[in-house]
Amino acid sequence: MSESGPRRRFSAGTTIEDLKEYMGPFAATLGYKFNTDTEFVDEVLESEIAILERDGDVYCPCRMRTGDPKEDLKIVCPCIPFYRDQFAAMDKCWCGLFIRTHVEDGSDLMGVIEEPEPGTLVDVPVARATDIPDGQGRHVRIGRVDIAVFNAGGAFYALSNLCRHAYGPLAEGIVDGHHVMCPWHGWRYDVRDGSTDHPDADVKTYPVVVRDGEVLVRIALGRR
Amino acid sequence: MSVKLYALSTCPYCRRTREYLDDNDVSYDLVEVDLLEGQERADVIAEVKEVSGGTSFPVLVAGEEIVVGFNKKKIKELLGL
Repeated sequence: MSESGPRRRFSAGTTIEDLKEYMGPFAATLGYKFNTDTEFVDEVLESEIAILERDGDVYCPCRMRTGDPKEDLKIVCPCIPFYRDQFAAMDKCWCGLFIRTHVEDGSDLMGVIEEPEPGTLVDVPVARATDIPDGQGRHVRIGRVDIAVFNAGGAFYALSNLCRHAYGPLAEGIVDGHHVMCPWHGWRYDVRDGSTDHPDADVKTYPVVVRDGEVLVRIALGRR
Repeated sequence: MSVKLYALSTCPYCRRTREYLDDNDVSYDLVEVDLLEGQERADVIAEVKEVSGGTSFPVLVAGEEIVVGFNKKKIKELLGL
């Protein structure tokens, strides 16, 4: 590898079929699929291949790189995890390459980038129900909020991921019935309402629904 | 009314917007931001952020009004097509 050139992240001669092969299954875990307009999908992916050749990664064709690697990784396709709430509100990603799994005709969702108002309540897909086994938690970042999603006895709950004691990651905690024990010092929270025996230390909870095998967390759309 | 289009050479919606403007004989200044270099590029990105509040493309500026994305309806209304 030359020192001046960008790091090669994809093999030479990467095709749009190669992109589809790894992006499709990943998007499916997030509640998305490729647009039903296959011609449009191919057009976007052709653009991404051209961008890959020029800039070294599959950046979103409709967004501009800032030059700051930490910012720019958020516009590498598929960028769904970085904009979960906004995309859930629009049923698609920025360009509509990916649409929500339940959308039958993706051609209606193309062309307009209308970002919803901050504060709008959105049901954000965070996982497939089968991806979080009973007694397990999963950390999910929605916008700027860190959330722990738990499966406790087959029911799903969402609460702030940060323990109010020393900010341990509750998603990595041990589930005990309807409680989770923080992995750092064992503070216990009731996953149903975020309550704890420690004074003034309850954590925020978020409504959860399971629909068509997807776990959705209801959250107010944040400001960017 | 002067019309300016900030676009990326790689962006499918930018292509569609240009086709739409061309089909309707709208004359406009085209700035392909990803083809600029150095300071000029940085300046233009700052300009796009200022007028549109983000870095999504295309950004169409007509007088005081802007349209982000290929929104045919809005462009039509704005330009009286």
